[in-house]
Amino acid sequence: MAKTYDYLFKLLLIGDSGVGKTCILFRFSEDAFNSTFISTIGIDFKIRTIELDGKKIKLQIWDTAGQERFRTITTAYYRGAMGIMLVYDITNEKSFDNIKNWIRNIEENASADVEKMLLGNKCDFPEKRQVSKERGEQLAIEYGIKFMETSAKASINVDEAFFSLARDIKTKTEKKLEASNPPKGGHQLKSYEPSRKQTNWLSKCTIL
Amino acid sequence: MSADEALIAEGKNKFTVYCSRCPSKILNSGMGVYTDMTYNLPYMHHKADGDSTNVEDVKGYWQVSDIYTFENLGFSNTVENMKYLICADCEIGPIGWHDLSTKQSYVALSRVKHS
Repeated sequence: MAKTYDYLFKLLLIGDSGVGKTCILFRFSEDAFNSTFISTIGIDFKIRTIELDGKKIKLQIWDTAGQERFRTITTAYYRGAMGIMLVYDITNEKSFDNIKNWIRNIEENASADVEKMLLGNKCDFPEKRQVSKERGEQLAIEYGIKFMETSAKASINVDEAFFSLARDIKTKTEKKLEASNPPKGGHQLKSYEPSRKQTNWLSKCTIL
Repeated sequence: MSADEALIAEGKNKFTVYCSRCPSKILNSGMGVYTDMTYNLPYMHHKADGDSTNVEDVKGYWQVSDIYTFENLGFSNTVENMKYLICADCEIGPIGWHDLSTKQSYVALSRVKHS
């Protein structure tokens, strides 16, 4: 069967536990169904489809699923990642301070050109805020990455954040493609699939 | 089976497949192939309802050979060379399973909405 999409991007959600990484992915309700069976075995990844500039983009999104409690995430987890959402909780100072550690962890383990984005989550509890928006912006500038405050509960900016990260990866991918395949006579390579070796991530899933 | 027949056109899903609980779109029409196999799936119990070990025979699935054909879908961790399928948005499930050795995914007709 012909491919039903133009791009496939592998994304990771990274940050301290309890910052709301999991609920960032709930678009229509505050809470998950929380099935007994599924909670017991845990979730590996999710596939999301978005459309950008008329291109169909598949996002394959992994959550650290508790691994972050050990403060280190293994190289295997980062393998093949093209984008990383760094998430902290604006009502939790420590989760913000730890972003620096997560960035160091990423620099040590992930591919050097991985796109990163900083998300300050839970912006619907302004009265409990410990980290100002300005500090978030400042940190993002320091690392040269994009920043957004999101509320998973009110779905504020969550879709925008994924669109923004996907757009940056798409731009980078297209630039790389152009550099390696200069267009000849108007013919352009249409599809680029970085995770060609499917067995790679599947075997990774079993390790996790 | 007769109820399932109304959902099939030329052996494939006639309608778009949605989550039964939330508006999440799972599969576009015509992208899944009907298979009348029967498989043992754990109930979609709520956590509060206790017992997670109950299973039931579920017959009738949409078979999809490339996981990226799905619009939105969640995959559980691996259990005995398979992954259970859940809604990517509200995480209700299992709505089917994915076989790691054949790379085939199966979505139970009775556990999703067609429209």
